[in-house]
Amino acid sequence: MDRLLQNFRRNRTLLITLAVFAVFFLLAIRGMPAEEWVITLLRSLAVGSITFLVASGFSLIFGLMDVLNLAHGTLFMIGAYIGWTVFVRPDTFVDVATPAGLIGMGIALAPLWAYAFGSATLHLPRSRFVPWLGLAAAAAALWWGLARYPITSWDPAVYAESPITYAFAAGQGTLSLPEPELFTSSPYLVLAALAFGSLAAGAALGAFSAGRSAGGGAGASGTRRLPHGALIAAGLLLALALGTFFFHGTLTAALFGLNSTALFILAILVAVGVGFGLGALVESALIRPLYARPIYQILMTLGVSAIGIELVRGIWGRPEFTMPKPAIFDGTGEGCPAVSLADLFAHQCSTIELLGSRVRTYNEIFVPLLGLIVLVAIWLLLRRSRLGMVIRAGVQDSEMVEALGINVRRVFTLVFALGVGLAALGGVVAGPSMGLSLGMGERLLINALIALAIGGLTSFPGAAAGSLLVGLIQQFIIKYGQIGITIPFVDYVFKPTPPLVPASTVLLMVIVLLLMPNGLFGRRD
Amino acid sequence: MKNFGIAPPGWFHHPGGAIPKFFEPASEMIELQDIHTHIGQYHILEGVSFHAPRGQITALLGRNGAGKTTTLKSIMGITPPGRGKVVYDGHEIQGLRSFDIASMGIGFVPEHRAIFRDLSVEENLKIAERKKGDFARKEAMIFELFPDLKRLIHLPGTNLSGGQQQMLAIARALVPDNRLLLIDEPSEGLAPVIIEQLMNAIRTLSAETTVLLVEQNFLVASRLAEFYVIIEEGQSVRAGEMADLAGDEATIGRYLGAG
Repeated sequence: MDRLLQNFRRNRTLLITLAVFAVFFLLAIRGMPAEEWVITLLRSLAVGSITFLVASGFSLIFGLMDVLNLAHGTLFMIGAYIGWTVFVRPDTFVDVATPAGLIGMGIALAPLWAYAFGSATLHLPRSRFVPWLGLAAAAAALWWGLARYPITSWDPAVYAESPITYAFAAGQGTLSLPEPELFTSSPYLVLAALAFGSLAAGAALGAFSAGRSAGGGAGASGTRRLPHGALIAAGLLLALALGTFFFHGTLTAALFGLNSTALFILAILVAVGVGFGLGALVESALIRPLYARPIYQILMTLGVSAIGIELVRGIWGRPEFTMPKPAIFDGTGEGCPAVSLADLFAHQCSTIELLGSRVRTYNEIFVPLLGLIVLVAIWLLLRRSRLGMVIRAGVQDSEMVEALGINVRRVFTLVFALGVGLAALGGVVAGPSMGLSLGMGERLLINALIALAIGGLTSFPGAAAGSLLVGLIQQFIIKYGQIGITIPFVDYVFKPTPPLVPASTVLLMVIVLLLMPNGLFGRRD
Repeated sequence: MKNFGIAPPGWFHHPGGAIPKFFEPASEMIELQDIHTHIGQYHILEGVSFHAPRGQITALLGRNGAGKTTTLKSIMGITPPGRGKVVYDGHEIQGLRSFDIASMGIGFVPEHRAIFRDLSVEENLKIAERKKGDFARKEAMIFELFPDLKRLIHLPGTNLSGGQQQMLAIARALVPDNRLLLIDEPSEGLAPVIIEQLMNAIRTLSAETTVLLVEQNFLVASRLAEFYVIIEEGQSVRAGEMADLAGDEATIGRYLGAG
């Protein structure tokens, strides 16, 4: 009996949450037909799953390094747009890969340059002027090279060539790509200019950071290690750049010949990879110098967010557009809607009959499933790996973790990159179900923040529970907006209006925070 | 003398192997030269200089707020000194990042223990590994020093008592091959029986490693340490052998309160 009571105390939050869920479901199922209830539940899971992808990364970053990354929503959106580009316009993707890979290589080499400049063997003029000169030279070379590098793309200003049209055509299976752009000057000269520019930029960045760390203390005769990770990343990026440059035509044709399921997987991989790299870059270049000044960090992330939105507006244009679903989730015709799992795979149906209701396989089966997979993967990473152990310890006391001899800054960069990668994954996956728009990031960030406030800001189970709750509340309020709630004892059917959808999540947050100021799973600190 | 896996002093920098003790250079394990440290706008350390000999326990004494903890943190690079030198085993380490300093063989047992609450006792120990298998090699030694920990191994850090946390914090610093331990206020808030147990443990491990100890409880410090340094208002004011200090009522009264 005692043990039971003790167990109850320990898991009080969990039990209360479960009880609230149970009451909620019982009430909900009384008010609507079972099939409506099932479909609303699945939709809630989908919204919760996308919210979770953003919230979990945000909460890992906030927990470990106390950075409120307000750019997280924008990075989610960038993930969606990059995924769309790979999916709908593989030719543009191949075109961009070469210069992007080269520039990425240069930047990835920056730690190596810092290492070289920092070591005693290489005596270079220690003037502050030289790195700036390098940066200017890099900018000039990149400007010259990029202006001459042909990239086949869309034109947001012309409707027939805008992303909207291409997205629609791709969805209809009638996509015809424009003729590839050609080099107007010598391709190798342009390539050399880009390579030189990116190397010079990396060297300049390395010189800046070497100067910064040398300025801190006197004779630092410590154990400096060669940054192997940077070398590997640079090598991979160089391989990508050269591969896409020399096998340009073959690759474009091959990608365009792929079925859309394979292309979708590629889109996910590319978006996550770019998100990861972008995260590492943002953390090491913009966030890291500001760890001593948290307010500046928040302003910095806000600035990154604004710049990101404008960049996307500049490249992809203003209007909203869709991302077609991959073929495996888009089948109609005979055998559809599927009635069994075997049917589903055989006919690749877009819908499936489930408990008498027609459920969309992508939105309502695939997305929640992916959320679940990511949930388990992160949980395993946190609980079973050394990195996870370091993260959990660092959330509490990163100073002590560093005093044990662990390079916490590298872990910071890794976790930031991981969080942004997760957000980008959320973006690609949300593309086909939510559509792409400039506001999608901010909308989702607000959802994620509310979810985290409900669940507890730095708690991983809290992020999952909060996201799920936000999804449930929103979707059920939307559903009740259609069918109405019968208020007992009164002859009145209450229909929540659309503005009540976002309001309801805020209301839930307020109630939870009044009862439990640290959120459901938060810890008093 | 049991070999606890912490290599005895004098073995380092001698690839040829063990050098008999009398050949060993009488160098210091760690030496601070006129350290100045600011925290925010406050000038906390205004000239701390001392040295701690190899293989001995040196106690930093002084009143609350004198700068003892900051001295340890300055060595660790957590609050890096703005001026002065920290020479550890012949290397200048001031200005290095704290993980680099730790990797050179310095273990830190901070005030209030800083046990990771979300990690089990085992994970708290394993996270301190610098090479794979550190914990497996030291396991027997650690459990011999602190038998309690063996039975608590799967408990989360948050469920430990103060004394158990202190033992775990010291054990954590023993997992990698550290040559210098910085231990901050090990006896703070603990029952006399537990303090006695901890003192025995520290004495045992000091046979193989140098210890720099911050201790408010003069009785504990005087029974443990061979050498002392007194820090007063951010400056090192006195240093010497503990045996001399123990009889010097005037100094004790002046710098350490009633004693």
